[in-house]
Amino acid sequence: MILLGEFALWIALPVGIWGAIAGFVGGRKERGDLVLSAEHSVYAVFFLLILTSAGIITAFLTDSFEYWYVANYSNRDLPTFYKVAGLWAGQRGSLVFWALLLSFFSSAAVFTNRTKNREFMPYVVGVLLSISSFFLVVLLFADVNPFERLPFAPADGRGLNPQLQNYWMTIHPPTLYLGFTAFTIPFAFAMAALLSGKLDTRWLVITRRWILLSWFFLANGIIFGMRWAYEMLGWGGFWFWDPVENASLLPWLTATAFLHSIQIQENRGMLKVWNMGLVTLTFLLTIFATFLTRSGLIESVHTFAENTTIAFIFLAFMGVMAGFSALLITWRYPLLKSENQIQSFLSRESAFLFNNLILLGAAFSILWGTLFPLITEGLTGQAIAVGPPFFNRVNLPIGLALMALMGIGPVIAWRRASRRNLVKNFLMPVIVGSMVVGGLFLRGVHHGMALLTFGLSAFVMTIIIVEFVKGTKARAHIEGEGYLLAFYHLVSRNRRRWGGYIVHVGVVMIFTAFAGVAFNREVVQTVDPGETITIESPFGHEYALTYQGLSSPRGQNMVRQAVALMTVERNGRPVESLTAEKVLYFKWEQSPLTIVGINSYVLEDLYLILENVNDLGGAFENEAGAQRATFKVQVNVLVGWIWYGGFVVTLGGIIAMWPSRGSTKTASRPKTKTGGERPALAARS
Amino acid sequence: MKDNGKFFVGLGGVALVVTYLIWTGVSETMVYYLTPVELMARAAQDPTFHDVGVKVSGRVERGSWNRAEDELLHHFTVVDLLDESVRFPVEYRDMLPDTFNDTENVDVVVEGRFREDGVFEATIVLAKCGSRYEATAEELLG
Repeated sequence: MILLGEFALWIALPVGIWGAIAGFVGGRKERGDLVLSAEHSVYAVFFLLILTSAGIITAFLTDSFEYWYVANYSNRDLPTFYKVAGLWAGQRGSLVFWALLLSFFSSAAVFTNRTKNREFMPYVVGVLLSISSFFLVVLLFADVNPFERLPFAPADGRGLNPQLQNYWMTIHPPTLYLGFTAFTIPFAFAMAALLSGKLDTRWLVITRRWILLSWFFLANGIIFGMRWAYEMLGWGGFWFWDPVENASLLPWLTATAFLHSIQIQENRGMLKVWNMGLVTLTFLLTIFATFLTRSGLIESVHTFAENTTIAFIFLAFMGVMAGFSALLITWRYPLLKSENQIQSFLSRESAFLFNNLILLGAAFSILWGTLFPLITEGLTGQAIAVGPPFFNRVNLPIGLALMALMGIGPVIAWRRASRRNLVKNFLMPVIVGSMVVGGLFLRGVHHGMALLTFGLSAFVMTIIIVEFVKGTKARAHIEGEGYLLAFYHLVSRNRRRWGGYIVHVGVVMIFTAFAGVAFNREVVQTVDPGETITIESPFGHEYALTYQGLSSPRGQNMVRQAVALMTVERNGRPVESLTAEKVLYFKWEQSPLTIVGINSYVLEDLYLILENVNDLGGAFENEAGAQRATFKVQVNVLVGWIWYGGFVVTLGGIIAMWPSRGSTKTASRPKTKTGGERPALAARS
Repeated sequence: MKDNGKFFVGLGGVALVVTYLIWTGVSETMVYYLTPVELMARAAQDPTFHDVGVKVSGRVERGSWNRAEDELLHHFTVVDLLDESVRFPVEYRDMLPDTFNDTENVDVVVEGRFREDGVFEATIVLAKCGSRYEATAEELLG
């Protein structure tokens, strides 16, 4: 099986290259047989990469440590769960995994378009297989072959980094990768539209769901990563502005911009060049993310081992792709003329444009901050770095502006908003927002930025709720339906719009949660068993944590663990106890892993970290005297709303993507020009 | 057309605001990124350098770490990656990352201020066990 996998990897490359050439030539010369052959190549590459991945997983499951990759990322006692995840635990496997997902999405795109959109497909296949072939070339020739053998077979592997031995390891990286690779499909269709010269809105209609799918996975991947960091890293935070975190955020920001700007193109025939630029930029940023993780050019907790060869190959690839796309856009420029002009400052297209500009501004500031050490070193010879304070400072006002636009954008009229439209839609939300700010201020909340955030949340929420209520009422009235049925029909008849609103609700919840950080409290204290640590919540109540002592049970693949137990009282009333641990993993005896304990409430989390055990060795042996320990206790305000918001974003995203069958004519707002609501592609995943 | 003009003023305004935010953000939060050798040279040359934020990458000296009893206060020594004779003590009052230890040649990045008494007061410590990530064939054999 392992040999078969290796063999499949070698076969995949010529098949991919053949398919790419056949696609481009077949499209140009209108040779149906070549195009068909190219499409079959897509399926073949997918099949071969399944074999390759199965080969790697088999090598992990059979403890085949003669393979360098397996020896470095596994050991005999590693739980099976993580052996399978070995496919993306390291650089080499993760490149295969990337190629696998890309070929999966490519096959899905080819399959769903086997009888339609035929004029695009030869080029789509050509572009997709070119990108796949690039990854295959890297795998085979850039010294990262996952099947590289050692001259001997070690008795055991080096084991998986304990920080990765967490269930999020099996969820977070694949979700992000799904998001990254799915965006290749819209890019391929954009390039196909340029190559074929069919530059109406059709490529957008076809790829709309793909864009949403990619956006959806990126959003979830990022939120899963935040949750992982919150649970695992033991620092009580969820976002550290680490370069690789930033790199995953960048394509999400530009994809968000793209999701909005394509609506202007569909409705008003504007921004065609801009959209081509955005689709290319987002695609490049997905590659940039892999580049940053692999190059080792920038310090990050996420980076794999340094590999400058890979760095330059990826850099060259990004350059070629950017050049290719720029050339095509220039060539087709005459066909990308705008059909309309902005008529008013106060219009939906204007609000969307501002949204785009601000999102790109955020992306630019994050990219700039991330690359700043490289830029300054290149220009002046002296590297200068910026850290979390920079990113927070710049992105806080940007985030607030985005929130405001999230409220304004969806309800302001297209073309030109009348005074009546403005008063009707915004008077009440502004009043509600102001009341929330005033109310909180009187209750003792005096943090300016937080107040502004809460006020804007209330403003946006009111707008969205009013929209839902108005829509449901109107439908119930016109169709004579009950409110519940009317609500269901309202959402299901224009899923993209109402799903989008629900996503907005989720995003507002997440932004609100960020503001909660301003109110966090923490206490550090060293205690003996029987002693109590108290911490006051900003909401007024008090937690008392009484240390009950350490115990030392054993788990799979762990050498030792020291578990501290704390009984907890909230205002004198006992609530759920907390445990916090130090764990030593087999093969990683030098670095104990800190595992936190969390009690989640609606408005806050009680978060317990075992910072230090005075005599850890003694504690592992269950010695009675070795119990004194230092704890860090935090009250993290509103942090749960990030995860609740994440669920809402997921729900909204699913509603927006759900393939609709029946009529979609009942958009409750008259549109100047619709691109057709029927889904051209059903997202399969 | 009048509105179009207004619109572009608006767009320009956004671009200006973002640029302004980045500019002031950088100038008020930037830190020099140095090696221990560079840090020593700069501090010797210019005494005011003790007051600015710096970020230094080096290696944790083996056996140099100790933690104050009952207090969240760590001491360790950072050495230059290339010139082992250059070193400085670090003081850090927060939780060290799990990857930090003083037995395995851990690469470390400390951010903070290099005080005039020669102690580096760190506000951020990042640690990466470089050798732990991937091993060569020889290392696997050993």
